[in-house]
Amino acid sequence: MRDRHNDILDLSRRDLMAYAGAAALTAGTALGSATPASAQAKTRFVFANESDYDTVDPHAAFDVGRVAIRLNIYDGLMRWQKNPAVLEPWVAESHTISPDGLVYTFKMRKGVKFHDGTEVKAQDVVYSLERILAVGKGAASLFKSMVAPGAAKAIDDYTVEFKLAKPSAIFLSIVPEIHIVNSALVKKNEKGGDHAEAWLSKNSAGSGAYKITQFDPAIGFVAERWPSHFKGWGPKWIDEIEFRAVKDTNTRVLGLIRGDFNGIGGYLQTDQLNRIKANPATQVLEAESMRVMMAQINTTRAPFNDVHVRRGINYAFDYDGFNKEILGGLVERNPTPLPNTIWGVPKDVKGYSFDIEKAKAEFAQAKVKLDKPIELAYLTGFQQSEQAAQLLQNGLTKAGVQSKVVGYPWPTIVERFKDPATTPDVSIYWISTYYADPHNWVGEMFSSSTAGTFKNASHYKNPKVDELLEKALRSTVQAERAKLYEEVTRIVVDEAAGLWIYNTKWYGPYSSKLKGIVFCPIGSAQEMRTAYYES
Amino acid sequence: MNAARDILRQLLRDPAAAVGLLIILLLVFIAIFAPLLATHPEAIWDMNPRQRLLPPSDTYVFGTDRMGADIYSRILFGARITMVIASVAVGVALLIGVPIGLISGWTQNWLGEALMRVSDIFLAVPQIVLAIAISQTLGPSIENVILALSVTYWPWFTRLVHAEVRSLKNETFIEAAIALGVPTWRIILLHVLPNVASPIIVRTSIGMGFTILTASALGFLGLGAPPPAPEWGRMIAESREFLPEAWWYALAPGLAIFLVVMGFNLLGDGLRDVLDPRIRRAGARR
Repeated sequence: MRDRHNDILDLSRRDLMAYAGAAALTAGTALGSATPASAQAKTRFVFANESDYDTVDPHAAFDVGRVAIRLNIYDGLMRWQKNPAVLEPWVAESHTISPDGLVYTFKMRKGVKFHDGTEVKAQDVVYSLERILAVGKGAASLFKSMVAPGAAKAIDDYTVEFKLAKPSAIFLSIVPEIHIVNSALVKKNEKGGDHAEAWLSKNSAGSGAYKITQFDPAIGFVAERWPSHFKGWGPKWIDEIEFRAVKDTNTRVLGLIRGDFNGIGGYLQTDQLNRIKANPATQVLEAESMRVMMAQINTTRAPFNDVHVRRGINYAFDYDGFNKEILGGLVERNPTPLPNTIWGVPKDVKGYSFDIEKAKAEFAQAKVKLDKPIELAYLTGFQQSEQAAQLLQNGLTKAGVQSKVVGYPWPTIVERFKDPATTPDVSIYWISTYYADPHNWVGEMFSSSTAGTFKNASHYKNPKVDELLEKALRSTVQAERAKLYEEVTRIVVDEAAGLWIYNTKWYGPYSSKLKGIVFCPIGSAQEMRTAYYES
Repeated sequence: MNAARDILRQLLRDPAAAVGLLIILLLVFIAIFAPLLATHPEAIWDMNPRQRLLPPSDTYVFGTDRMGADIYSRILFGARITMVIASVAVGVALLIGVPIGLISGWTQNWLGEALMRVSDIFLAVPQIVLAIAISQTLGPSIENVILALSVTYWPWFTRLVHAEVRSLKNETFIEAAIALGVPTWRIILLHVLPNVASPIIVRTSIGMGFTILTASALGFLGLGAPPPAPEWGRMIAESREFLPEAWWYALAPGLAIFLVVMGFNLLGDGLRDVLDPRIRRAGARR
C-alpha cells in the first residue's frame, strides 16, 4: 500500500528540512549560480486560509478556497496574469485557432519538467483534459459544454490540439484550468479506473513552482520550492510555503499581527483591515478586482420556484445597512449578478432595494404558503457571510417570514450544491473572477448546463436564458455578446433568480516585509512564485 | 418542612452561600421577567446596523453589538436560554443517572457491573470533548446542546449514587429492613434514596454551574443556539473580533456567565456544608 511518494509525505519535520536544504543546495550548484539566498536560512511563508484544503487534486475544485494548489503546484498551457488580467502563454509557447473557431492548436515549450524529472509532453495535456471530463468535478461542467472526451489529441510530443464541438468565446479563457498532471505517475496510481482520484487527492503530480511535501486534510499543505521550474526564479524567493485552514477570523488576524502567519485570506471586515493597516508589521495590499457577494436561491422547490417569493427575499435585505454600516463603505452596491465594472452590464437596471412593505406585498402574492422556516446558509469562517445571513433573517422576520441561519464549511456546501435536494434554500457567498468574462458570473450562475456547480446553486432553468447564453458563447464579437449578456441579466434580475449585494476590490493582508506579490483577479494573488522577503 | 426551614436558616448564616442563593434567585427572576425588564425587547431578533458597536449609554446600558442590537436586553433574554439548558440538561442527567446508580449499587451482579462500565466509558472522555462531538454531529440547536450535556453528565450522578448505595447497603437499618422482608423497591425508595439525597442535591447545584459553563463553551464554538438567539457563549465569540475597541461587547456576557457559575458553585458549597457533616469546608461556620 505504501509507495515511495507516501514515504516522503511521512518524513518528520527535521528530515524534511534536511531534505529541502539538500535540494536547494543541489539546485544552486546545478544552475551554476550559488546565490546568497540558498546559503541563508530557509525562508517560509505561512498562509492562513478561511476554508479547508480537503483535497489537493487540481481537477477537483475550481474555486478561490483551494486555488493555491492549482497555481503553485501545477501549470497549465496558459495562465491569467497581471491586473487587469491578461491571458499569457505558460507551458504553451503559442497557439493558433482555426478560422471556423473549432480547432485550437497549442505549441508547447520543450524541457518543462514535472517534479519527478520527467518532461511535460502533449500526452500529459491530453490525459489531463480526459481526466477532468471523466472525474466531472471542478471546471468539468464548463468543459463538457465545449469538448467531448477524445477532443484533445497529441499531434506530436509538443503539439496538442483541441477540437471543439461548437465555437466558444470562452474556451481559451478556461484553458488555464487544464492543470497538467504527470500522466505516467497518475496512471500508475489508478485503482479500478478511478483516474487516481483517491491518490491525487492526497498526493501531487505537477510541474508547478512548488512541490507538495506534506498534506493533511485537517490542516493544509506544505510545499517546497521546485528549483527547476520552467519559468525560472528571480534573485529572491521563498523556499517553503504552507497553506493551512484557520477558520476563526480572530485567530487569523491576531496570528498575522503576531507573525505566526505571513498572509491571510482577504474576506475581512473594515474593523480588521484597519487594525492590520495600523500595525507597522503588517500591510494590506489593495487592487481593483471583481468579486460579487450574492445569495443563491434554490429555485427548484416550492416556495422558491415562485418569482414572488424570490422578489420578496430580494426586498428584505438591507443593502445599505450591510454595505455602508457593517462593512463601513468598503464595498460598492452591485444590483445584478455581473460586477458593475465589466462589460455586458445593463446600466439602467437598478435592481432591488430594501423595502419591507414591498417584500410583504410580494410574499402575499405567493401561491404556496411560506410555512416552513427558510434555511439561510452561510460559510463558516467567513463572518461577512454570517452577518449577511443574520441581516437577511432580520428583514425576513420583519416581513413576517420565518427563517433559520445555518453555517456550512466551504467544501461541505459545495458538495451539497451538487444535488438540488441537498442545496440550502438560500446560500450567501461570493463569485470571484475565474476568467475575465461576463460568462464567469451571469453565464455560469444561470445556465442549466452548470447547475450544481458552486457557481450555480440556484439550479435555475430557463430555456430562454439557456438559448441566449448559448448564443453568447458561440459569438466571438464582443459587442454582440455584450447585448446578449445584458438581456440575460435583465431577465434574471426581473425573475429574482438570486440576490446580489456588492462588488469589491481585493484586499490582501500580509506581513510588511513580504514583497513581490503580484495580484491577478484570477487566483487572488495566491501564486507565490514571485514573492520574497525584504531583508 | 421543618427540616427544609432549618437547612435554609443554616445556609443563610453562611455569607458565601447566601450570595450564591441570591444570584440564582436573581437569575430566575430575570429569566421569568425578561420581557418586562428589557429596554429593547425586540433586540433578540431585530438588528439595526446603523446603531452598531455603540458604547454603553443611557439608551443602551451595556452598549450595542455588531448587528446594532442592545446587549443589555440580549443578556436578559439569554438568561432564559441559560436556565432552560442548565435545568433541563441536569434534570435529564438526574433522571438517567440516579436510577442507574441505585440499580447498580444495590444489585452487585453482572447488570450493575455492566452499567458501571458504561458510565466509566463516558467518564473516560472529557465531558466537553464528548459534548462537542455530539452537538457537532447533530447540528447546532438548543435541543442538541441539552441532549449532548445530559448524555455526558449522567455518569457523574451514577458514580456518586452507586458509591453511596454500596456503603448504605451494609448499614444495620437496611439489613434489618431486608430481614423483616420489606420489598426491595420499598427499601430503595424509602430507605436508600432519602439517605443519598443530600449528595445528589449538592452535586446538582454544582452541576448546574458546570453545565452552564460547558453550554457557554459550546455556544462559543458555534455549536449552541443558532443566531439570532441571544446566547451568552455565542455573544462572547462574536465579540472577540472587536476587542479591545468594543470592550463592552465581551464584558457583559462574560460577567453574566461568571456570576451565574459562581452563584451555583457558592450555593453548592454552602449546601454541602449544611447537608453533609462529613466534609466541611475549612473555616465554615457550624
